[in-house]
Amino acid sequence: MEIHVDKNACVGCGLCVKDCPMHVYELQDNVSVAVRPNNCMGCLSCHEICPAQALEHRGIYAARRHYIDIKVCEMLRKVV
Amino acid sequence: MSAGYIDEMHEAFHSDLIYRAEDIPLECSPKPKELEHTLHGVMKLNGLVIRSLEEIAGRGANAVTYRAGKKFGHEVAQYFQKREDVEGALHELSDLLRGQYSFEVWKPEDKETFIIEENGETFIYLVFHDCIVRQTLRRNGLDQGGPLCQTLFGYVVGAVEEITGRKAKLEIVHTGPNACLKKLILK
Ligand code: SF4
Ligand code: SF4
Repeated sequence: MEIHVDKNACVGCGLCVKDCPMHVYELQDNVSVAVRPNNCMGCLSCHEICPAQALEHRGIYAARRHYIDIKVCEMLRKVV
Repeated sequence: MSAGYIDEMHEAFHSDLIYRAEDIPLECSPKPKELEHTLHGVMKLNGLVIRSLEEIAGRGANAVTYRAGKKFGHEVAQYFQKREDVEGALHELSDLLRGQYSFEVWKPEDKETFIIEENGETFIYLVFHDCIVRQTLRRNGLDQGGPLCQTLFGYVVGAVEEITGRKAKLEIVHTGPNACLKKLILK
């Protein structure tokens, strides 16, 4: 698993450090660094909690999504 | 109710199909794509049932759903080949659950084996990737880890117990939007 933190986007809040159950991140000079990427089990809680959307995981298994609102997605498709 | 409306309704349910006793449907109808609305309906219904159960039974709701899941796990797995090795049992279980749940055995990088012994406990970490329960909860804005998750817990424990003949327990370590980490404790 490769984890990238966008250093320019990260605001150093430390939420990912606290939330990750596998202690993958550490704050270094006020920026999050993925120090134990091999311990990541791909839950993506860190993505959900990061206010800066600064995280990127490569090589992750994306679980099947069934709950996406069909109507909202249809509307979004027209706009995006 | 107007006669026109009733006729229209009758018309919608009328067909020229001849259905014989031996006509056992071999596939779902309609096509999976068209079942999306049905799936959303089922998820909403499940969410409402669970929410009401929690309102009425409080913390007892977990015990009820866990027991139901465990019973189901025992029932389904009794037709499976009995085996003593837990890894083999988990393999069978993953076949059994395919389509609704997918999971893998997992270990942190500092552990050498998947069967971990720590603080007098023997356990295996399981990462659940695809999970219809997680999807249902998120579809309804409900927290993960509650009664609906307990059904799956019970199911896994029941099936493992049935296949291996060993007592087991499952604990949630973490729930996330894309995967959940669970600990299967062997007794
Ligand atoms: S996906 Fe989960 S385990 Fe991986 S880094 Fe994020 S919070 Fe930690
Ligand atoms: S949660 Fe996001 S912004 Fe906060 S420290 Fe982690 S990467 Fe940086």
